[in-house]
Amino acid sequence: MSTRSAVPPDARRVGWGQRFSRWDIKVSPYLYVSPFFLLFAVFGAFPLLFNVVVAVHDWHRRAGMGDFVGLDNFTWVLRQPLFWRSLENTFSIFLWGAVPQLVLALLIAAVLDQNLRVRTFWRMSVLVPFVVMPVATAMIFGQVFGQFGLLVPHLQDLGLLTGSDSPFFQDRLLSHMAIGSMVVFRWTGYNALIFLAAMQAVPRELYEASTVDGAGRLRQFFSVTLPSIRPTMIFVTLTMTIGGLQIFDEVRLYDGGGTGGGKGGADNQWTTVVLYLYELGFGDWQDRLGQAAAVGWIFALIIVVFSLVNFLLTRSISSSRSRGPRVTRAQHRAAVARARAVAAGSAGPLAAGLPPAPADAPAVDADLQEGANR
Amino acid sequence: MRITAKSAGAVAFAAASALALAACGGGGGGASEEAGEDNKPDKLTVAAWMDFPTELLDSFEEETGIEVVVNRFPDGASAQTVLRNGLSSDGAGLSDVHLVELDWWTEMMAVPEDWAELPEVPDRWVDWKVAQGSVDGTITGYGTDIGPLAIAFNQDMLAGTGLATDPESFGELIGGDDATWQTFLDAGRQYVATSDNYFVDSLTNAFQAAINLLPAAFEDPESGLPYDLAENAEVKDLFMMFADAAEDDISAGIAIGHADWGAGFQNKQWASVVTPAWMTGIIAENADGVDGWRIASTFPEGGGNWGGSFFAVPSTGPNTAWAIELADYLTTPDAAIDWFNETGQFPSQLEAMSAPEIAEAENPFFGDQRVGQIYGDLAAAAGDAAAGGYRGENFAGIQTLVTDGIRLVESDSATAEQAWESVVGEFDALGFETAD
Repeated sequence: MSTRSAVPPDARRVGWGQRFSRWDIKVSPYLYVSPFFLLFAVFGAFPLLFNVVVAVHDWHRRAGMGDFVGLDNFTWVLRQPLFWRSLENTFSIFLWGAVPQLVLALLIAAVLDQNLRVRTFWRMSVLVPFVVMPVATAMIFGQVFGQFGLLVPHLQDLGLLTGSDSPFFQDRLLSHMAIGSMVVFRWTGYNALIFLAAMQAVPRELYEASTVDGAGRLRQFFSVTLPSIRPTMIFVTLTMTIGGLQIFDEVRLYDGGGTGGGKGGADNQWTTVVLYLYELGFGDWQDRLGQAAAVGWIFALIIVVFSLVNFLLTRSISSSRSRGPRVTRAQHRAAVARARAVAAGSAGPLAAGLPPAPADAPAVDADLQEGANR
Repeated sequence: MRITAKSAGAVAFAAASALALAACGGGGGGASEEAGEDNKPDKLTVAAWMDFPTELLDSFEEETGIEVVVNRFPDGASAQTVLRNGLSSDGAGLSDVHLVELDWWTEMMAVPEDWAELPEVPDRWVDWKVAQGSVDGTITGYGTDIGPLAIAFNQDMLAGTGLATDPESFGELIGGDDATWQTFLDAGRQYVATSDNYFVDSLTNAFQAAINLLPAAFEDPESGLPYDLAENAEVKDLFMMFADAAEDDISAGIAIGHADWGAGFQNKQWASVVTPAWMTGIIAENADGVDGWRIASTFPEGGGNWGGSFFAVPSTGPNTAWAIELADYLTTPDAAIDWFNETGQFPSQLEAMSAPEIAEAENPFFGDQRVGQIYGDLAAAAGDAAAGGYRGENFAGIQTLVTDGIRLVESDSATAEQAWESVVGEFDALGFETAD
């Protein structure tokens, strides 16, 4: 740069500069995005592909690569009862976490979308649980649900869950609910804010129009808000599915995770697939990295299939909801406009000569006609 | 002046250790360079999971000028994970000296070249401790403590049921001099018949102690292969004995390490705990404010051992020579006495075992009992049997598997029979090649 300003530019230099700026336009966008792709290649794509190599070999932590075993690791995993049990647990915990989370997040977002005082304060406060480390959440919830925690002694005083000393650590379903509640606690606020952003982008005219049409708050929520945030719904459900199925920290630390803990309970009541994978590969003793890699691939496939199903479901649910009312509303408007036009037509000859009101601006037309009639 | 004095001390120390090295002589050729002035680091790191006596670290720094930094882990399990990962990645993230627990010693020593060979120190430890800390005759770990077992019990709770009032009568209750695990469990059944809490925190400790006394519990010492668990009558008998007791609800099913264990003491959930010496400090901490805890000098089957640790030096470290000096320093009999005062862990060093500082120390939490004396007697009574039987590479894993079966019964998730079936099923699913 300094030489350039010192020496007067000649034709050749300009040519260089032009060529450079052409490169700049062509190449630099790729350079700008390259850090992500380089990092992804090193820390994402490579391990992903390398995992294939590990999965088809006998592989141990210290000894490294052993014999090629083909698909033996996969068949071994599929024969393990614990793998299937952990799969059941994962889906159960996912449902207990995802369903209440979705409902609550939508509700909170709808409330935050109203005209509240100190809006920013409310919006920030729903995000507070998200700031708490999952490890801390797991430790605290583990204590709350523990035998001597905040919850259980009081429930038992009321005569509930008296069947066992520590129901949330013994009963399979209850442990899933407890872990699901951690997921709800952590992620609801975050998703509520995403929903809120989407809701804010819904054109206000739609609400005004539906109010004019006589829709109540509830009807507006289901017929205007939900269909309008459909893409966001799909996005949230997908990320929730992928993240929720990979749950690890919460289950690992639910029972404290110390000596003898962290394995998902004595009867593997809350062992999830990722925890099972971790125990196989990096746990206390098994040292089966090949089989763990196979679990990773099988589970990845399951997640892809499940996400697809989820995607299709979400799409069809929100579109069927939206299709019905939207058509009705258009028809409704057109009908109103036509009716008013007819009414105006019978009132005076001027209006009768007007062409039929276009369906997309019925209210304005009606006003005009009314004005003309007066 | 100060610097000279320091380095003079260091030279003397180095000379003394060189002498010690020379004295042991001929112990295999693998020893690396010696600790000297030219390769002395500014600091050494130690990975462990309990509090260090500060005077011990201070005096090492005074003598050698090396600052010792303790990388303290919350529990043994996390120290184990870090060590395991470090060993499988050529020493990345390891400290100069690592504390290794007996329960996972075999796993860590699977590749002996990972560890620096330590010079022999004659007559410092009980023989079986040295044997445990050696791989194929080469010492790779300097013993710190051993875990002689006793039973801690709450005499106020037992007095409430009228079964026992002090350590002597509690000893009689669980079977006196001829105590077996069966008499211990029967005493538990008697206790829970009239009390409103459990007899013991968890039966898993006791079960593991009983397993430990078998000469070859899970694996064939000849081939190292696991026995077929379904056909392993010795283990099955023990399992059923403890599982039946678990079915009779004599235990709360909350072992040390469980999130509720500390709260269980505060809520007076159980009246006794199978307690290795190193656990006494942990119990005193968790049961703080609850009166009446005592240590009984009677133990089923003549005694036992749970755990105990070693200081070992990863061979990939940059300062192995001085790290060996540090491991040596931390396991002298004097150091062992400091450890006893700090954490209550019982020494594996002969000279320290009989030292009056340990035998005559009164423990205020346990009603001024001479806890060191009791554990010393129990360790002597247990003798070499405390070293335990054969432990192959799958010992820890199979033990966990079987112990989880006891936990299954304790949590009312299965009957004793069902739990055994499930344990055998899980073992079979792993597809071991088994010994005949």
